[in-house]
Amino acid sequence: MIAAGVDIGSSTSKAVLLNGDDILCHSLINTGAESANSACRTLDEALERAKLSASEIGYIVATGYGRVIVPFAQETVTELSCHARGANWLFPSVRTILDMGGQDCKAIRCDAAGHLENFTMNDKCAAGTGRFLELMARVMGISLDEMSELSLEAKAELRINSTCAVFAKSEVTSLIREGKDRRDVLAGLHSAIAARVYNLLRGIGVEPDLVISGGIGKNIAVVRKIEERVGLSALLPEEPQIVGALGAALFARERIMLGKE
Amino acid sequence: MVTSTSAKKHLQTTLEVPALRKKYYAESLQQGTNRKVAWCSNGIPSEILEAMDINAVYLENYATVCAAKRLSSGFCRAGERAGFSQDVCGYARILMGYLLGGEEAPEAPYGGVAKPDFLVVNSYSCDSRMGWFATMGRTLNLPVYVLDAPYQPQGGCTEDVNVIYSESQLEDFVAFIEEQTGTKLDRDKLREKLDLARRSHDIQVDIFEMRKAIPSPMGAGDAYTIVWPGMYLTGTKECDEFYQRLHSEVSERIEKKIGIVPEEKFRLLWSGLPFWYNMALLNYFEEFGGVVAIENAYFRYQKSLPSQHKDPIKDMAISSTMRRPYADDIEQRAEITLDIVRDYHVDGVILAFNPSCRLMYVLQPELKNVLDRHEIPNLSIECDMADERTYSEGQIKTRLDAFIERMLSGRK
Repeated sequence: MIAAGVDIGSSTSKAVLLNGDDILCHSLINTGAESANSACRTLDEALERAKLSASEIGYIVATGYGRVIVPFAQETVTELSCHARGANWLFPSVRTILDMGGQDCKAIRCDAAGHLENFTMNDKCAAGTGRFLELMARVMGISLDEMSELSLEAKAELRINSTCAVFAKSEVTSLIREGKDRRDVLAGLHSAIAARVYNLLRGIGVEPDLVISGGIGKNIAVVRKIEERVGLSALLPEEPQIVGALGAALFARERIMLGKE
Repeated sequence: MVTSTSAKKHLQTTLEVPALRKKYYAESLQQGTNRKVAWCSNGIPSEILEAMDINAVYLENYATVCAAKRLSSGFCRAGERAGFSQDVCGYARILMGYLLGGEEAPEAPYGGVAKPDFLVVNSYSCDSRMGWFATMGRTLNLPVYVLDAPYQPQGGCTEDVNVIYSESQLEDFVAFIEEQTGTKLDRDKLREKLDLARRSHDIQVDIFEMRKAIPSPMGAGDAYTIVWPGMYLTGTKECDEFYQRLHSEVSERIEKKIGIVPEEKFRLLWSGLPFWYNMALLNYFEEFGGVVAIENAYFRYQKSLPSQHKDPIKDMAISSTMRRPYADDIEQRAEITLDIVRDYHVDGVILAFNPSCRLMYVLQPELKNVLDRHEIPNLSIECDMADERTYSEGQIKTRLDAFIERMLSGRK
């Protein structure tokens, strides 16, 4: 029996299909304006890749900000619990998860079984989120991938005082106009994000191992800065954006197993 | 955006409060021209005003009425247009918006409040409102009296000094009112009011004590409503009878083991003020078997002191130096909260951070530290208590849902 997890985030929608202990496949699409529609599209895409039909799915759990409007989900579980469960499945030694998504940033603590123990999230602020990085990339006229690559080539680190998206945009614009090397500006920007998320992590206490998930986990420059701050090497999932959907699929698998009992 | 508003009430007696409140505001508006009207802050002793036949209008309460009726956005915008920053207390912005009007200001609930002859503000608990009342006084060109309450650091000042100072302040307050009305305070009448108020207060303390029961006989959704008569009808027979009926109902629920939910799975403490525009949030946990069993903002924990002096003002001065749940030393506040967690069998704490409430906002981080040290699960959520524009349904519900999952997983 197939277990499905669907994660409707503010930027991207993800689906993971599980058969027992095997991840059959995953999908990842932009959420767009219609969350319910993107939920259908991402699940359809995953089913198509796995060459399966919807009737073969035994249970579906939805997560993410759009979880309550997933029309076909049998249950919803928050992304906090799903990230804990998903990260634990990928890395059983994990005790702390930093999920850096499109709209928010979460610091999560879990136990050895992947149960949520504690969490904290950024409040009404874009600092340290995907949206913040997208805005800065646009200001600097580069792609998100280039941000990471260029930052790693920096010779110095220029200080960015604010992680407020509005103020940081002004600061970055001023530094670029002054003719500063954009690689050094980027290093400063990534460092400012690391400082910000480190405060979130401190709020719950960091216990190794640390896993970084979410779209920003793909930005190695940010990951390195966070590792420096925390003083720990982070474990990185191969596809950091599907950890929540994987956790949801694991919850779905649990429900199927409970049903069999 | 807020999608729900008023809390579901589980007790029949609670359902009497909206009518009492409506009647109170209607009478106040009607009597406005016959009696002197005082615009008051919380903490101004209504017994003195009642004994001197003053029509007291408590503005913070009126702000919560505006918020509960979903009118805070318009009033706040009107207040902000007049130059008040969004960082200023939500209650103050609502009332400044009400006072100054303008196209942003909506129609006032209950037809508005009676126009004041003077303003009185208490300095205890919050400093912002002294500036707010001073501004209203200047705007209306009316006298403003500040009733000063001594700060009570732990071990920092002796009780005697506080009592002497409080007595002098109360006497000065009485002199101010006498000057405004041209009549002397009838101290026997004040004594009668105080005796009645003491009785109502003590019944409330008993009711709060009874809320330790499992299952919870009364949750915060009811509790934030039932404190209203005790705060604004103090010293009246109506108030006394209300609490007697409530006491009977709570006793009956305990006897019959009637809880808020069919099977109580976890009990919460709500720390700080509620979000008046979305009181239904207090019921949110109920479908998952959770109950907000207790709250610390209007906690009634200590019975009245017996009358010790012939002069009622001396007794009031002594009472005013008693431990107050959120007005004193931060360590005392933390201690009270830990006592509540233990005595009310609390499994988790919701810390409501209200950025515009300086009193509550500075308290919560230290409370969080204390709760963390004692390994008591807690969740911080940030919203203004009155300005509903600060509320984000998705953000709040995600945090609450995750906290509920944590509670139900049985781990602490």
